[in-house]
Amino acid sequence: MDLRETRNTEVDEIVAWIRSKNPDLEGDLLPGTDLIETRLLESLAFLEFVGLLEELSGEPIDVGSLSIDDFRTLDRIAERFL
Amino acid sequence: MAMFLASGVAVLDSAEAEIFGALDDRFRRIAEHLGARPIISPAMLPAELLTRLDFFANFPHLALPVAMYSEEATARLAGKEGGVPTPEDALEPTDCLLPTATCYGLLMTLRQREIQTSRLLTAIGRCYRNEKVYDGLRRLRAFHMREVVYVGSREGALEHLRKAGEQVRDLARGLGIELDELPATDPFYLDEGSRALLNRLDPVKIEFVAPDGTALGSVNRHRNFFGERLGIEHDGAPAYSSCLAFGVERWVHTLIRTHGGAERALAVVHGSS
Repeated sequence: MDLRETRNTEVDEIVAWIRSKNPDLEGDLLPGTDLIETRLLESLAFLEFVGLLEELSGEPIDVGSLSIDDFRTLDRIAERFL
Repeated sequence: MAMFLASGVAVLDSAEAEIFGALDDRFRRIAEHLGARPIISPAMLPAELLTRLDFFANFPHLALPVAMYSEEATARLAGKEGGVPTPEDALEPTDCLLPTATCYGLLMTLRQREIQTSRLLTAIGRCYRNEKVYDGLRRLRAFHMREVVYVGSREGALEHLRKAGEQVRDLARGLGIELDELPATDPFYLDEGSRALLNRLDPVKIEFVAPDGTALGSVNRHRNFFGERLGIEHDGAPAYSSCLAFGVERWVHTLIRTHGGAERALAVVHGSS
């Protein structure tokens, strides 16, 4: 599995997690969809999401050093954490 | 000086009432400038709709349910031996609660609606909050909140708050009140959990704070939370909303404190319009 495939698998895991939190979500989740403003990434599950990213990236995340835009879209999340 | 009939329950004197009225005129003018239509907000809110808004999960300590006495308690109170309510008197629920914020009632009027264009509504309402400590007009159990609510697109909701912020800054400057703008410090945003973390990264509520720490008002982005929970659709998707809120008694307190008395405060509020 090359790096790109690994990353795709990890993005799929993130998409699956978002869908599990939003069972009514229909259609594709686009790479540029704003996950924060659409509340697909709900405030109450945010810590859990950070935990998922730590698990996938294998590294601890220092949220204090990040901005909200680092979590805003699948594209940005993949670029920043995967 | 305001008098207190119960802890956190104030009666404003004539001078304070005049300042209150003059300030609310200014708030209404801001609402009009922002394009809002005035309505009269409901004095109670149905528990069923508040449940849909996670009110009880998020703010159980603020809830003030409205109840009637049971038939038995009514008979006892009206009887010769009765007349004095006791904690043992059984209550019957009305399924309504006193509002903790004016925007709930405004947003509820749009429930299950598909709106073609954005909606802006304003109202002043009595609001009620249980607090650990009450402090003059700064922290009351029963107070007035004027709100200006926007419902529509995401961009429109942000623009509403940008314009609202400008209006509040102009108003405070004209009244000689210094304002800080700080992310909200309600307990709702202060736990160690997910909400606090996300709010630190992307504050959704900014308070306008006077030099003595009194939060005079706030601007609040709801994203599409109310649109989704109340079934308000705009452009085929849950509507976005945002609101500007004024805590009216807190403005009265701050204006009097800033100018060293009610008479001078009145002169300032009349002179600045």
